[in-house]
This record gives sequence, structure tokens and C-alpha cells, in this order.
Amino acid sequence: MTAYNGFYLVGNYPDFELFTEALREGLRYFDFAEIGIPFSDPVADGPVIATAADAVLKAGFKWEKLLESVQKVRQSADSHKKLYWMSYANILYHHGLQNFIERSKEVGIDGIIVPDIPFVESEELKKLCHQHRMDYIHFATPENTDEQIKRIASAAQGFLYFVSIRGVTGSRLLVDDETARKIQLAKEYSPVPVILGFGIRDKKTVERALQLADGFIAGTALVKALGTGEMDNFTSLCKQLTGN
Amino acid sequence: MRRPSRKGYFGNYGGRFVAETLINALDELNQAYESFRENQDYQQKLKTLLSHYAGRPTPIYFARRLSKKISVNLYLKREDLLHTGAHKLNNTLGQILLTQYMGKKRVIAETGAGQHGVATATVAALLGLECDIYMGEVDIERQAPNVKRMELLGARVIPVKTGSRTLKDAVNEALKDWVRNVQSTHYLIGSVVGPHPFPWMVRDFQSVIGKESRRQFRKMTGALPDYAVACVGGGSNALGLFSGFMNDPSVKCIGVEAGGRALTPGDHAATVTLGKKGVLHGSLSLLLQDEEGQVSPVHSVSAGLDYPGVGPEHSHLHETKKAEYYHCSDESALQACQTLARWEGIIPALESSHALGYILDHQSRYKDKDVLINLSGRGDKDLAIIIREVL
Ligand SMILES: Cc1ncc(COP(=O)(O)O)c(C=O)c1O
Repeated sequence: MTAYNGFYLVGNYPDFELFTEALREGLRYFDFAEIGIPFSDPVADGPVIATAADAVLKAGFKWEKLLESVQKVRQSADSHKKLYWMSYANILYHHGLQNFIERSKEVGIDGIIVPDIPFVESEELKKLCHQHRMDYIHFATPENTDEQIKRIASAAQGFLYFVSIRGVTGSRLLVDDETARKIQLAKEYSPVPVILGFGIRDKKTVERALQLADGFIAGTALVKALGTGEMDNFTSLCKQLTGN
Repeated sequence: MRRPSRKGYFGNYGGRFVAETLINALDELNQAYESFRENQDYQQKLKTLLSHYAGRPTPIYFARRLSKKISVNLYLKREDLLHTGAHKLNNTLGQILLTQYMGKKRVIAETGAGQHGVATATVAALLGLECDIYMGEVDIERQAPNVKRMELLGARVIPVKTGSRTLKDAVNEALKDWVRNVQSTHYLIGSVVGPHPFPWMVRDFQSVIGKESRRQFRKMTGALPDYAVACVGGGSNALGLFSGFMNDPSVKCIGVEAGGRALTPGDHAATVTLGKKGVLHGSLSLLLQDEEGQVSPVHSVSAGLDYPGVGPEHSHLHETKKAEYYHCSDESALQACQTLARWEGIIPALESSHALGYILDHQSRYKDKDVLINLSGRGDKDLAIIIREVL
């Protein structure tokens, strides 16, 4: 099976134009994009992504404007490539769960990833996603018991996001044997690819991730590269990570 | 008072909105707490510490001179007399014993004013556990003496440089620490906020305030108060007091929030009054936020009320009209602090001054009524602010 890989960008970072360009560019190398809707209190994020989100917020972020850029990219991108939102529960509750899902569907978003909505709180949102034929992405972690992993993996749609480390985005990738075993277990039960996120930043970590899982998501390293303002830096890192 | 639902909801509010990584730790905590509540040994230990170490029961004092001056019968529940100077210790003593019961060796906590940080450092020293306190850089500057107190007690104070560098951000960083160290560490939350079971557990530990108050008040007056009033930051001292009177329909519970400089965004912390349903720090509750769903900056002269969220049970009590919520401005709170100092010889914390300030602002509404105010803490920690603002 060929790897199924994704990349993460902070919505409208470093600005509207560069973000849109990077989203297009990234989709040439990766199978899906994770688009972060900036939130003031990003508890799952390390300093690089949190600082980027903060910069976007200070510049007067509007979700409506981000919807526009996403719609533009969607219209020109390969229809097999998927676009996911990644944001925090309050953003969704604020816009109203139903309204949030409907607006997202309209601009061509394929699914949502919400790190502070665990499996036990996901019912209502999952139902809404189903109704609108969008993927609700589940997380699995080394802390989950085997039973939980089986249950979560069996219910997975789109892909299963395996958070391989205890920490925030941008932390170092360290996978112990027990975690490797749990990733394997998730793969057995998941009807969709099991993807490792958090800590994937270079060739070495990509190799490690692909030994363990069906694919990876790279975030912090790419956000940092794009933060230099040079598309070339971003593109060459995309190439390096995907081996193209 | 009612327990939350199995999933941790008080009506429409509560839950566990945290990373999947923490779910099992919360389950484990929930189970440990259920068994801790039934464990006679530990309950006895807690009782002994509350009386011999902390100084419970705290008295109710009838403020005779001030009552006469304003024609309201003012009774003060003296949590300011508790060891470390605020109600916070009721909760930290409970949770530190629970930490020991669970076999964990390290505690972390967030603090704004430094009161919860001091109360946590205190109990960590008492049991010899490792203790790290997250505190925003802005608060470290505003509350320097409390930082030194924590250090003296053997805790490490970790400056938080993210976001607004205040209480909200200290909670964020403590949550991140907990995700990293969930196997060894207990997160000792300081108010009735956070994911289930915290709001329920912290209320339980603070309910000693309400239990004592009801008994003491009846003994003193032969009746129950007409009103039970407390300030609301996260809402722990208020729920502690309210819990004693929830089954008494004749007693009206009133929560007083920080009205700040004005009721414009960024100038206050009146969450129940002006917030919208949202998710912060692990629970669905009312939340001060802007039109994009970003958490609003807040302001209060008292660091302990300077918080954009509120415990989910308060949102529920508000929605079901089981309690009423009002606000008191910075100015009225500072005024109330001076009034109590001059008329009764008690310097209240600026947080607690909000509860009193609300009554002083509306004294005609409470004319000749029996009003029980939770004096949640003493004002020594606020001296620098009081000097700057009024003296
Ligand atoms: C004396 C005092 N009262 C009240 C509060 C507010 O907290 P809560 O609303 O949880 O009682 C604080 C918090 O620091 C405090 O120090």
C-alpha cells in the first residue's frame, strides 16, 4: 500500500496570498491538507504553531475570509485530494455545530479534526458529519487501552489520527514498543489509513513513521518553513518529506 | 446538591473537552475519587487536617457596626481566617490527599492571584510531594509576594509567556504539562472548572463552607439567611457556600462577578452575565468570546476573578434560575474593601470585596434582610494594589 500523507497549515498564515499558494503547492505532494482555524487558546499546539496562529489573529482573522481561500483552492485542486479543518471545540460551538458543518461543506471541506473533542464527546458532531457526508476524524493515543483502540479504530472514517507522543505539536517523535504495538492494533481494526501525527519533521522521522503506520502528517516544520515568507523553502521541504 | 450526569454534565453544561490522551486519566481520577469519598481512613485524615491544620470550622461573624450603618443584617463567613488566607485550602487539602491515595508523586497547578498556587505549594510541602506552579508573567509581576511564598514553600514557579500571560494561559500550560506527564502527575485544579470530574470534585471539597454556614447560622439566629452571597471567578467559593442552601427555597443564592472598569469587551470578567455558550479548559460552559469565537481578553482589579470562563455548574444554575448572578465594578469593590476595613477591622481580599460591594451598591434592595456573605479571603495579598488605587 502506498503511503497516505497529509500536511498542516495555519489558515491564512503568514498571509492570505502565501497561504493560498502553499495550500495549492502542498496538495501537489500530499494526499490531504489539514487547515488550522486559529484559536486564541490552542492547547494541543506547541510554540511554533501557537505563535503563527496568534499572528493571524492579531492581523484580524475572519473565518469567512478563510472559507473564501479554501473554496478557491478546492475549485482548482485535484478532486481526490482531501481538505480537512483542524480547530478547537469553541470555534465550532461558536459558529453553531450545524451551521459550521454546512458552511464547510459548501466550500468543499471533506472533514473535521478537533483535538479537544475526544471520542466520548463526539456523538453529536459525528452525526452531523454523517448527514453531510463529511469525515469525522478520530484520535487514538498511546494512553488508550486496547479495547478503546479497537472501538475507535473500527469507527474511523477518512483516516485515523494516531497521536504517537504525549505532548503538543512540534515535540520530538519517540515511539516506544508499547505504542508501536498499539499502532499495529489500530491498523488491524481501522478500515481507513492510520496516520501518525506530531513530531514528523524530516526524512528520518518520516521513515520511522512509515515503518509504523500507513502515513504521516507534517505540521510544525512546514509552518516554520512557510513562516520565512519564501515559497521555495516550503516547496523543498514538501519534496523532501514526500520523497518527490 | 445534585451530582453531574455520568458524562459529567450539569444540565447542558460540563463534559470532558480535552485531548484523547487525557480521557483515561480523567476516568482514573473519577474512579479514584469515588472510592476516596467512601474511604473512612482518608475522610478522617481530611477532617483532621481541616480542623487541626487549616483551622476549621471558620466562624460566622455578625458585622454589627456596618449592618447598622447600611440597614442590612450582614453576616460574614470567615474563610479569610483559614490557613494561607483563603478558601482555596479546602480544595487543595482534599486533592492532595487524593493525589497520595492515587500514588502520584507530583502535582501541578495554575494560579492567577497566587492564592491557589500558595495553597497548593502548602499542601505539597505538607505531604512532601513535588510541586510545579504555572503562573502568567503578568501575574508574577502583579503578585510578587505570593511568588516568593510559593518558592519558600518549596514549589517551582514556572512563568507562562503565552497569550495574555495571565490565569487563562496558566491553565493552558498546566494542561499541556499534564498531557506530557499524565502517568506521574496530578493536575490540582483550583476552581470548579475544567473537565469532569473536577467541577464536581472541587465543589465537594468546598461544600464544607456551606455545611458549616447553614448549621452556624441557624445556631446564631434560629433561622436561615435570606440571601447567600459570594464572588465568582471560576466559582468555587460560591458553590461551596451555595451547596449548603440549595435545598432551602427561602434562601436566595447570589453570585457576584467582576464588573471591572466597564461592561465593554475587555474591561470586565462578568462571564455568566455576558458570556455565550462555549468551550474552554475542558468544559462546555458560558464563556466571554468575540464574534469570531476567540476568547475575549478580560479585566478585573482582582487577579482571582480575572478569568473569561466560569464553572459549568454556575451556567446551569443560571439557566435554571436556581441562583442569580450580578456584577460589581472595580471601584465598588475597592470601596467595599475600605469600608469593611474601617467599620469592622477586617481587610477582605479584593475578590471577596466584590460580594460585599454588590450588597453595598444595592443596600436598599436588601434593607433589613439577613445577608450571609462568603468572605473568601483576606486582603493582605492585595495591599500593593490597594495602595496604588486608593491610598
Ligand atoms: C480570596 C479569593 N476569593 C475568590 C477567588 C475566586 O475563585 P473562585 O471563584 O473559584 O472562588 C479567589 C481566586 O484566586 C481568591 O483568592
